[in-house]
Amino acid sequence: MNPVIKINGLSFGYEFGDSVLKDIYLEISPGEMVALVGQNGAGKTTLVKHLIGLLRPPAGKVSVADLDVANTRISKLSRQVGYVFQNPDHQIFHDTVQAEVAFGLNNLGLPREEVEPRVTAALSDVGLEHLAHENPQRLSRGQRQRVALASVLALRTPVIVLDEPTTGQDYQERKQIMALVEQLNKAGHTIVFITHDMSLVAHYASRVVVLCQGRIILDGDTREVFRQTDKLAESLLLPPQVTVLANQLNEPLNTSVSPVILSVDEMQDYLQRVREVKRNGTGD
Amino acid sequence: MTSNNFLIQLNNFTYQYPHTANNALKSINLSLKKGSFVGFAGPTGAGKTTLIKSINGIVPHFEGGTFSGEVLLNGKAADTMSTAEIGRSVGTVLDDPEAQIICLDVEQELVFGMENYGVPPAEMEQRMQKALASVGIAHLLGRSTASLSGGQKQRLAIAAALAMLPEVLVLDEPTSELDPLGSEEVFRVLKQLHQEQGMTILVTEQKTDLLARYCDQLVILREGEMVLSGTPREVFQHQDIFELGVALPEVTELARRYYPQAEPPITLDEGVQFCRNVILSFGG
Ligand SMILES: Nc1ncnc2c1ncn2[C@@H]1O[C@H](COP(=O)(O)OP(=O)(O)O)[C@@H](O)[C@H]1O
Ligand SMILES: Nc1ncnc2c1ncn2[C@@H]1O[C@H](COP(=O)(O)OP(=O)(O)O)[C@@H](O)[C@H]1O
Ligand SMILES: [Mg+2]
Ligand SMILES: [Mg+2]
Repeated sequence: MNPVIKINGLSFGYEFGDSVLKDIYLEISPGEMVALVGQNGAGKTTLVKHLIGLLRPPAGKVSVADLDVANTRISKLSRQVGYVFQNPDHQIFHDTVQAEVAFGLNNLGLPREEVEPRVTAALSDVGLEHLAHENPQRLSRGQRQRVALASVLALRTPVIVLDEPTTGQDYQERKQIMALVEQLNKAGHTIVFITHDMSLVAHYASRVVVLCQGRIILDGDTREVFRQTDKLAESLLLPPQVTVLANQLNEPLNTSVSPVILSVDEMQDYLQRVREVKRNGTGD
Repeated sequence: MTSNNFLIQLNNFTYQYPHTANNALKSINLSLKKGSFVGFAGPTGAGKTTLIKSINGIVPHFEGGTFSGEVLLNGKAADTMSTAEIGRSVGTVLDDPEAQIICLDVEQELVFGMENYGVPPAEMEQRMQKALASVGIAHLLGRSTASLSGGQKQRLAIAAALAMLPEVLVLDEPTSELDPLGSEEVFRVLKQLHQEQGMTILVTEQKTDLLARYCDQLVILREGEMVLSGTPREVFQHQDIFELGVALPEVTELARRYYPQAEPPITLDEGVQFCRNVILSFGG
């Protein structure tokens, strides 16, 4: 399938600053769910801002849904790609939660009778329907984050980019948000999400891109990326705790490569297989 | 000093914000000696932030509202002290660094607090250097605060609190914007302050795996009540922990599936040992 996101040799530096992105090549196919990870300052936000025209890539370097981001108006681009800012205060401008979420929909020119149910649905998806009439400035940081999320999810763009969407959320909220995103992904939306939470990456991403000082140093299937512990250590990242645990156990099974464990469930299955191997010398 | 030697004491402390229907804190009893390192966890709305604000006097001094019971600092009722007086012994890092940082550049931000509390100018330079260095941002001294990343702002907020040489440091989710290494570094700094200066530390945090490794005491809040308190191991061993909406370290979750009643491992190393024992128990 034709990639929906194409970045072809992108380099970038802010004015008066060092280079931040170095020779980035990245193609993402429709329907992928990609985690973009890396240390604070690695360039993750800078990279995704090139997908939505907030930073202007040179002509021909970045395209989204076959639109060359360099010469496409943001209003046109924003029908294809929605972006949840890392800092919700950079995107919240209205004085009620409801108006905030309605804003983008109105901009799309949707009729009122369609806007209202979409706003209601988006707010209920993020658990904020009871705060529809509140001023966002009166909400907690975590709640403002979910307002920002709702206003982007409501647009149902084919591509959705989420910059650290679970910051300030508790355990259940993190799972709820990611479940919501996963649902959108299953419905066909392409998802790129940035996070520091490697357990979320392990649970939800099918592909991981690791950015280190402006370069992509790893890009692949989640399991394969978490196998590369040395490369990850280079960018000062650690796989989830159970992944490291299984790695350190280094318990030989009758398999040539040791498995990469991504969750507590998988660890339990793994120990079960070790048990079978010990008991009757079989295993696969 | 009073007859007891608790640095911080909450006795049956109940608090309600103005114009709200429910108590945000309900009959909290908590007595902490000098040199305690206490972590607070619990879902959104549990009252973690309100508890932190009750100790630094923001509640009730700035928030208003109604309370019963008492908060004592060195035996003195906090509501009878001025916030300036409280501020001399309690340093605060709020959960929203955007809101806490008020000056245009990093140096001013540190000097501002020190001036407010009458630190002699001759001491300022040294305190400033030390505070910035201890959170690893000495190189940011000349930067404008607007140009800092979220993580850098969090560190600046910690440095500003440290420059006051407080007896107690209270921090509300100080790592929410930080990558795993940055989060670890913040806790290392806290541990160092705790060990070398005997500083008393109270910290709320979503990453329970950090609390497990660094805190002496862990308190779980839910709906304004203190529902569990003890060493991290005791708390993670409790049968109710799964219903309280906090994430367990993955090794702990794994172990509890095998031995729900036993003392669980709470660190990676302990987890590795645990799995080795499980595998040994398979025989073979
Ligand atoms: N508006 C800006 N002006 C100048 N430098 C910036 C700006 N935004 C980010 N930077 C710098 O670019 C680098 C990458 O930042 P960013 O893309 O925000 O990283 P990440 O999202 O991975 O934490 C950092 O060194 C940061 O200080
Ligand atoms: N400034 C405020 N005004 C009114 N209610 C508040 C305010 N801050 C917090 N609350 C309420 O107090 C309760 C506890 O909130 P909080 O202490 O922020 O919890 P946590 O930090 O654990 O998420 C929640 O019900 C919250 O809605
Ligand atoms: Mg970023
Ligand atoms: Mg809070």
